[in-house]
Amino acid sequence: MAHAANSGLAILVDAVSKRYGRTLALDQVSFEVPRRSLFALLGPNGAGKTTLMHILCTLLRPDTGKAFVAGIDAAAQPLAARRRLGIVFQEPSLDDRLSVRENLELHGLVYGVPRKIRRRRIDELMALVELTDWSDKTARTLSSGMKRRLEIARALIHDSEILLLDEPTVGLDAQTRDRIWHYIRRLQAERDITVLVTTHYIEEVEACDQVCVIDSGKVLAEGSPAELKQRYGQQLLRVVPKTDADHAAIAAQYADRISTDSAAEIILTSDDAFSEGFLAENGARIRALSIEVPSLNSVFLTLTGREIRDQAAGAREQTRAFGKIGGEHTG
Amino acid sequence: MTGRSVLMVQLVGIYALWLREVKRSLRDRGQLIGGISRPILWVLIMGIGLNPYFRGEVYGAATFVVPFTYLQFIFPAVIVLNILFTSVQAAVSVIWDREFGFLREVLVSPLSRGSILLGKVLGGATVAVLHGCLVLLLAKFADVSLTLPKILETLGLMAMLAFALTSLGVVIANHIRSFQGFGVFSNAVILPLYFTSSSVFPLDPSLSRAQTRVVYPEWLVTLVEWNPLTYAVDALRGALIGFNQFDPMTGVVIMGVSGLALFGLALFEFRRA
Repeated sequence: MAHAANSGLAILVDAVSKRYGRTLALDQVSFEVPRRSLFALLGPNGAGKTTLMHILCTLLRPDTGKAFVAGIDAAAQPLAARRRLGIVFQEPSLDDRLSVRENLELHGLVYGVPRKIRRRRIDELMALVELTDWSDKTARTLSSGMKRRLEIARALIHDSEILLLDEPTVGLDAQTRDRIWHYIRRLQAERDITVLVTTHYIEEVEACDQVCVIDSGKVLAEGSPAELKQRYGQQLLRVVPKTDADHAAIAAQYADRISTDSAAEIILTSDDAFSEGFLAENGARIRALSIEVPSLNSVFLTLTGREIRDQAAGAREQTRAFGKIGGEHTG
Repeated sequence: MTGRSVLMVQLVGIYALWLREVKRSLRDRGQLIGGISRPILWVLIMGIGLNPYFRGEVYGAATFVVPFTYLQFIFPAVIVLNILFTSVQAAVSVIWDREFGFLREVLVSPLSRGSILLGKVLGGATVAVLHGCLVLLLAKFADVSLTLPKILETLGLMAMLAFALTSLGVVIANHIRSFQGFGVFSNAVILPLYFTSSSVFPLDPSLSRAQTRVVYPEWLVTLVEWNPLTYAVDALRGALIGFNQFDPMTGVVIMGVSGLALFGLALFEFRRA
């Protein structure tokens, strides 16, 4: 505990690699999460985010490298590390036959929280995520957004210093997602905790203190959203050619500027002068054109050469496959 | 943290998981209905129905002299049946926990794997004993008199049996990936196990071993003798109606040893998983 306080780090991931059979899920991943920060791990599905989460919450051991949670080596002292962590998994993990309060009670008992403190915290946290009116309803009657809120509250019953949220907003509608983020930010501000959240929704990380972009098991970039935009953000020109011939002509002419070339559109790296010249010269060849100013989306595109949204269908398949194997990564 | 408080956390955790199991089961109407209807069917319908056909009679050269009625005879076996079904249902909840994510919540808690499994098995066993007690409520109809020592002895045997069977259920559940597979397995395991445990027909009310093999086909006698449940049924019969086919301690030893062995196996697999 002492050295964690000294180092000022909540989480330290040091050259962690993990291999599943032939796939290298994590390749020498390193990053640091400062205490009391809201840290986002951004990447498409299959990037290795969940594997990393499972290593941090001690369900998996890294093949090489070390992961420290509040200064504790997660692989060497899993039980001590777990005590510091509040975890919300991607898949719901509530007992749907128990009521809201009973789910929280169970968690408090399992983590050995003394009765008096347990009762008080349960009431506080239910109020915080606005589930007090639902305290006696069984979990199965809650909406998916409410279940998520309950899981977030549950992860804090044992006064965890670090909250790990694995895709907390996946599968929720836009409004509910906003609401979940509202609670996450409020919790972080009020309770003085560190939050590590994984997501593949770019717009969600704008509000985070630090972002770590990860793809195919590798860290591509790290920094605050503003820093990332400044460093990697680029003006992009999104061009929809009229015909295949136009497509080929444009692709040939600007080969050195092509960022992405798909059947429907070509994305070129650009600046103001280039955009104007392009429009003047190729106006007749294009059906549509849009200019994108630097955003985290363009950062991601620059870093990975593709858009994070391309993975949307894959995400659903993965979730389903995950369900099929029993939702376990413990094997 | 001191060693003592680590132990306390584990004990409280075991209690929490035990409580969850019991609460869940009591809220499961289907399970409760099964637990009530099964003894009624077996004791009140089948037992009373077959009661007149089961009495001292000359069968070939052998004479059955039976010191109890069929109802009394089948009564302890119905307790075993109820415990058997409920224990296996507890194992179904292992699959449920795994499929619906709850297991992960406890896997990342400060509880050790051993505590998690113990809480689960003790919870399942407690519910199974409660379901066994539902049968005891019908004792009056079966003409089985209950005294306090008798009840205590029965409860002890029921607890041992329930622990062993719940552990068995967990071991089976560890190897099954879907609910469907489990349904097949429970039919392939529960009923054969029950029917070959000298539960519904007396293997040997008064016959010698040699005579038994003349009256019943060899394979059936072998099956019954090899079935560990036979000895559990026998032990309960000894406690409730004072009739034992085998040494009364045999049942206790078999239940105790297999309970520990099965729990050990379940834990070994759970740790590895």
